[in-house]
Amino acid sequence: MRLLIVEDDLEAARAMATALAERSFDCALASDGEAGLKEARTGRFDVLIVDRMMPRLDGLSMVEALRKLGDNTPVLFLSALGEIHDRVSGLNAGGDDYLVKPYALAELVARVEALARRKESGGVQTLLKIGDLEMDLIAREVRRAGVEIDLQPREFQLLEFLMRHGGQSVTRTMLLEKVWEYHFDPQTNVIDVHISRLRGKIDKGFDRPMLQTVRGAGYRLEA
Amino acid sequence: MRLPRLFRTTTFRLTLLFLAVFATAASAFLAYIYVATAGEVNSRADSQVRKEMAALERIYQSGGQTALNQAVIERSSQNQPLLYLLMTPQGAPISGSIGASPVANFTGQPAWASFALTETSVDGQTIRQPARGLEEQLSGGQRLFVGADVGESEAYVSKIIHALWGAGTLMVLLGLAGGLLISRDASRNAASLNGVIDRARGGDLGARAWVRGTGDEYDELATGLNDMLDRLARSIAGLRHAGDAIAHDLRSPLTRLRARLEAGIIEAEAGRADPNDTLHQALEDADGVLRTFSAVLAIARLEAAADAPGKSLFDPSEMAAHVAELYQPLAEDKGVDFAIETARALKIEGNREFIAQAVANLLDNAAKYTPPGGAIMLRTRRRASGDVEISVTDTGPGIGEADRERVVERFVRLENSRNEPGAGLGLSLVAAVARAHRGALELDEGPGRVDGSGPGLRVALVFPPAG
Repeated sequence: MRLLIVEDDLEAARAMATALAERSFDCALASDGEAGLKEARTGRFDVLIVDRMMPRLDGLSMVEALRKLGDNTPVLFLSALGEIHDRVSGLNAGGDDYLVKPYALAELVARVEALARRKESGGVQTLLKIGDLEMDLIAREVRRAGVEIDLQPREFQLLEFLMRHGGQSVTRTMLLEKVWEYHFDPQTNVIDVHISRLRGKIDKGFDRPMLQTVRGAGYRLEA
Repeated sequence: MRLPRLFRTTTFRLTLLFLAVFATAASAFLAYIYVATAGEVNSRADSQVRKEMAALERIYQSGGQTALNQAVIERSSQNQPLLYLLMTPQGAPISGSIGASPVANFTGQPAWASFALTETSVDGQTIRQPARGLEEQLSGGQRLFVGADVGESEAYVSKIIHALWGAGTLMVLLGLAGGLLISRDASRNAASLNGVIDRARGGDLGARAWVRGTGDEYDELATGLNDMLDRLARSIAGLRHAGDAIAHDLRSPLTRLRARLEAGIIEAEAGRADPNDTLHQALEDADGVLRTFSAVLAIARLEAAADAPGKSLFDPSEMAAHVAELYQPLAEDKGVDFAIETARALKIEGNREFIAQAVANLLDNAAKYTPPGGAIMLRTRRRASGDVEISVTDTGPGIGEADRERVVERFVRLENSRNEPGAGLGLSLVAAVARAHRGALELDEGPGRVDGSGPGLRVALVFPPAG
């Protein structure tokens, strides 16, 4: 997987590249919007990480220009502007995800992986399957090893998100954003409680737990 | 040279302008009165003269010079106010009550003349009376003069003129005095407002303008100024407090972080400890510092904004149910009963995400402080006033009345909460959200003491009705 990091803070860019290289991403750097746009137009990248505030050409304009050229490479915006309307303007400009500074590298890596995966899996799926866990999105049924599991609607959504990102680390913030659609930081880890309930339903009675806790990052659903 | 302060005020200038307009109008009015009265007096004398002249001409037409002469002599001898003189075509007097015609250079055309009549009064004094008369040539060539003593009416007119001058002067003086009085009052009001602004500019944000309670524009201005100063003082105090609090609250975790790293290096170099543990611990500390920083920033932004950004119209009951669903498992896992009771058809205009976060913070606090076996109730309702209320009631230890105001301040953590995680920013954020929506945050006692716990806490977010 090839990544382009467009960020004027070289120190931060290098730290990102280090963390991403750990997950086998090959990173290129650009230090302003113009250079970033030039690099991105080569079409060699699977995901772009773009800082919003940069010299010469800001991140929003760069991505807007790219989208006008018909380039749909997934974009993750990084920004110190974390208000709702900043997020909305970022997504309107053609961003696929939005991460507010300061962020944990684990969060960044998890989101980049999610974006990279999305590029891979095109098409509408009606059946999700990880190991012996199956989810029928039309009948809204979940089975593990053929045994039907009864889930609450929100638990179903939570599991669906985890299954769509099977094998990847998913952070608590990502779950709160994508499943509950909240962008604030809940003081207590409410997500943990929901995860432990879900775990009780899908892993209980099975030898091998599928829903893993990833230290310092979040959770991962593994076959 | 600058004029004295009073004369430079807008009100005084307006007074002068008003006075000028007023004086012009008054002059026109007085002129009209003069024309209507004094003119009337003169024209009445003139018409009397004209009538008499016509009467004498009629006598002349019918009876000739003899009859006329007779009439003139007759009338002159009577003690009546009119004066007569019949003259030969050359101007020599034939008969009459005066010796010579006051009309100089008579051309044959009817001519008017004003003159002074000299009389000798009973006590021997000479009195000069103003008089006025008309001289005409009769068809036979003789000249006839008829005059009237206008002394009385002239005196009347001059009295009127005097009265008008007096009235005009009085009017100008009164107008000027009134203007001075009004502008002094107005400039005193403006000066008091300016004084407040000067003090505020000098850094005294405690300065407040006096509201007299008359509800006039100065009161409105004073109220507006005071409100502005309140907001300014609050946001400056907030910033100052936030600055102090950040310095205080970030300094200790940063010091801890630094010490931990330093100790970690020493231990690792001595081969006694795994540097990984130190790094993980340091990372957690750094995350804590950043979380505190973000929360303080969010509060400061909300407090600095005049109005909550990104407002929309939404149903608070639906929003509350959504947040409740996130927190319900947390409460249940702790053995706390969680119930939600929502009213239908409520609407709030506000930032849904901020208000959801405020409710989340309230539920988070409730779940933290309510002991197992207790209960939490989330409720939405419309108050009799029309305000929309979102409240969270718990059966935890509650907050003593003395602490209720203090607890919404940043970084304030009560003694019994020291062992719970958190930076003491939760309620501050809720209060900031309420304020940014022109709403209120109310803290009360909960349901009271039950089973050795309580008295509980009831926190209500109150929003004005939408629209």
